[in-house]
Amino acid sequence: MNKNYLFLSLLMILLAGGLLLLPDRTNYSQIPPEDLLWDIIQPTRYVTTEQVAKMIIEQDPTLELIDVRDADAFKAFSLPNAVNIPLDSLLSPNYSDYLGIEDMNAVFYANDDMLADQAWVIAKRLNYSGIYVMKGGLNCWIKTIIQPAPPPETASLDAFDLYDFRKGASIYFTGKTITAPKSDNKSKVIVRRKKKTKATAGGC
Amino acid sequence: MNKNTKIKNGPRYINPYLGGILLGLLLLATFFIAGRGLSASGAVKLSIVTIVDKIAPSHAMANGYYSKFIPADGSSPLFNWLIFAAIGTFFGGMLSGAIFGRLKKFRIEHAPTVSSRTRIIAAIIGGILFGIGSQFGRGCSSGAALSGTASFSFGGLIVMLLMFGIGYAFAYFFRKLWI
Amino acid sequence: MGPLIPQGYITGQWEFVIALLIGAAFGFLLESSGFSSSRNIAGVFYGYNFVVLRVFFTAMIVAMVGLLYFDYLGWIDMSMVFVLPTFLAPMLLGGFIMGLGFVIGGFCPGTSYTACAIGKLDGFAFLGGFFLGVFLFSEAFPLFEKFYYSGDMGNITIGEVLHVSDRVVAFAFVVIAIAAFYVTWLIEKKVRANRTESKFE
Repeated sequence: MNKNYLFLSLLMILLAGGLLLLPDRTNYSQIPPEDLLWDIIQPTRYVTTEQVAKMIIEQDPTLELIDVRDADAFKAFSLPNAVNIPLDSLLSPNYSDYLGIEDMNAVFYANDDMLADQAWVIAKRLNYSGIYVMKGGLNCWIKTIIQPAPPPETASLDAFDLYDFRKGASIYFTGKTITAPKSDNKSKVIVRRKKKTKATAGGC
Repeated sequence: MNKNTKIKNGPRYINPYLGGILLGLLLLATFFIAGRGLSASGAVKLSIVTIVDKIAPSHAMANGYYSKFIPADGSSPLFNWLIFAAIGTFFGGMLSGAIFGRLKKFRIEHAPTVSSRTRIIAAIIGGILFGIGSQFGRGCSSGAALSGTASFSFGGLIVMLLMFGIGYAFAYFFRKLWI
Repeated sequence: MGPLIPQGYITGQWEFVIALLIGAAFGFLLESSGFSSSRNIAGVFYGYNFVVLRVFFTAMIVAMVGLLYFDYLGWIDMSMVFVLPTFLAPMLLGGFIMGLGFVIGGFCPGTSYTACAIGKLDGFAFLGGFFLGVFLFSEAFPLFEKFYYSGDMGNITIGEVLHVSDRVVAFAFVVIAIAAFYVTWLIEKKVRANRTESKFE
């Protein structure tokens, strides 16, 4: 047999074998800025505190809450079943298996949007899908879920629905005793209200 | 390499491994430029679509297969990468034939065991089978088997394995055509 | 960086000029490797000439390994490279029919172009049959439209089916190809000993 063929075969095996030894390429540089901007301006990357509350109450198995504040803040107060991944250790290999789980919706949150947004952009650059930011963060959570303020009398039915949901959620999360609504004609209105699926989406 | 082949008066073909490496690099370049591999059957498909669309436009639109390939903007299906590549293939082959002295007058090549007529009939049958098979297989040996497998497509691998496998399985029955 | 056309680096008429050049290079390589002769091609099934297997597999492993290096170096965005979609049942049938056509006709479409180009009438016959076959398929399409779209697995890769990375797949192909080159070389030597002629024009 010709020696050249032996040499070529060896070269080809070495080239292909070299591929096996190369580290995986990390394609950070390949997300074009246009695409990233497009993703960032999509409102769908936000979830509201009500949506999160609803998922927690319904024990949605696809929900994965990620608290990106530091460990002290996490210990002081956080949401049930949340994982603490401080922003500065988001890239640490200890936490890498929390992200990019198939069919899981990872929701980042911090005290406000800022840290969570930063974490979201990093995760996006790592090419993870199913990542969200809880709009308004824990401040909004306190304002809307833990201590909901009743809407003004003139507000729309949706606003009252939302308030009802928030009150219910508040009871769920804080263990407050139920304070029955005062028996004025407002309660009759509540009874007649139609249930709307959209009701659990509100602003902060 | 082997210098004896030049002295012998055999056909002058390039070394198959050299041809393979060059073809592989060409395939790589095609992926790099066009984002897809080489194809030969697509051009025939588009020609058929064009012809049927010209002769019987309503029939073509009613058929779920023709209508898939008729551009919605009314332009000709022929104005397509695949068509130009196929024209190129023809002239590239002609160029190589001219350089190596194989471009001659029309002739039929067949094994001494069969007549010219048998060979032509077999070629037509083979062509028909390839025409049907390549549509089911989403490409022929270049589009599905070679380019498909080279871009790691599972379907390409299936087509390649089955094409060669069935070829071997039935080779015995058609041996008279070739040896 | 690449692929160039899907990313819009090359547009308009240049696409077709490049298509013409790539096609020409393809045709040149097919013809100069000996694919304009059906007897050379059919040799792969009878052991007297394995040129098809050599060219085909060499091209495939070079392109595979090359693509992965391009991907590693960031020269090509693999997510934009077309991966042939897999429709399991129709593709099995298609491969079966093409295998039959291959051993009966002795050409495949690409090689029949080059056979026509140098004046082989059997190449024209094959190409004519090919047109007819595509036409018959399209006319009868409504009869098996459902089957044609059945078994859709999407743009699935070999690695995804076998749960290994593309690099392992490429390495396996290289090893298998080289083993096949060696084995077929041995077979060819044996078969050719009983033949007067094994390479055709």
